Amino acid sequence: MGNCLKTPTTDDISLLRGNDSQESDPNLGPPPPYQERVPVYHPSPNVSRPANQLTEEEQIKIAKRLGLISHLPTGVYDGSVKKGKECVICMCDFVLGDSLRFLPCMHTYHKKCIDDWLMRAFICPSCMEPVDAALLTTYESS
Amino acid sequence: MAGLPRRIIKETQRLMAEPVQGISAVPDESNSRYFHVVVSGPADSPYEGGVFNLELFLPEEYPMSAPKVRFMTKIYHPNIDRLGRICLDILKDKWSPALQIRTVLLSIQALLSAPNPDDPLANDVAEQWKINEMQAIHTAKQWTKEFAMGPGQ
Repeated sequence: MGNCLKTPTTDDISLLRGNDSQESDPNLGPPPPYQERVPVYHPSPNVSRPANQLTEEEQIKIAKRLGLISHLPTGVYDGSVKKGKECVICMCDFVLGDSLRFLPCMHTYHKKCIDDWLMRAFICPSCMEPVDAALLTTYESS
Repeated sequence: MAGLPRRIIKETQRLMAEPVQGISAVPDESNSRYFHVVVSGPADSPYEGGVFNLELFLPEEYPMSAPKVRFMTKIYHPNIDRLGRICLDILKDKWSPALQIRTVLLSIQALLSAPNPDDPLANDVAEQWKINEMQAIHTAKQWTKEFAMGPGQ
């Protein structure tokens, strides 16, 4: 059985946890060639599993989740978000040029912060509103 | 080892600058992710007058996963077992990265005011709480006196 999640494309790479650490560090030199870096996924909030150890069911769930997340609107902070200038996940103020993601419940986070969370639980951290339910409401009203 | 995330630094600073009444959380000198916590037993609860030591650890994944919190002081409570583990939804499946050390500790303080024997962790304690609440509260008060008020507290 092929594992379609093993080699992520550049499209969803930003949704993967810890891809920051993949940036090359000049002090470390190249990684040993035999060490394959397998992305870690969170099929449930407290479960961490390398991509090659996911069940088929979990792979489908994650693939669907990646698709849903990609439909949520994104933007760049231009100073116009009125309430709350701080991302509650990293507790850092939004800075001009930051990539943001807007949830249907109108809560805003850094894209990187919220995507990491949404891969674990599809719930707004601030209001606990399930994002998929809110997505459906948005579709119905538009 | 990766540096301490900004969020943990900020939370620690805010905890120091604006402490919560009845709660203190001090980071360990050698590990900034490990906090020594002291919670005062809430007024009008069987734990009133007691001083309870807890440990709180922020895992590598924090704030994507919940802090690990445990009572170090012995306590008679239906939602806290003999190892000090706490049955509290926000520490498990109801965790959200919008929660903080501060809100977690406030929830634990609230749990002391409102024991919930219908969602037990310590089965024998919960049973006692349901069969004879008066007796359970009496035992909780005794344990508070014996373990949470002694010297060294």
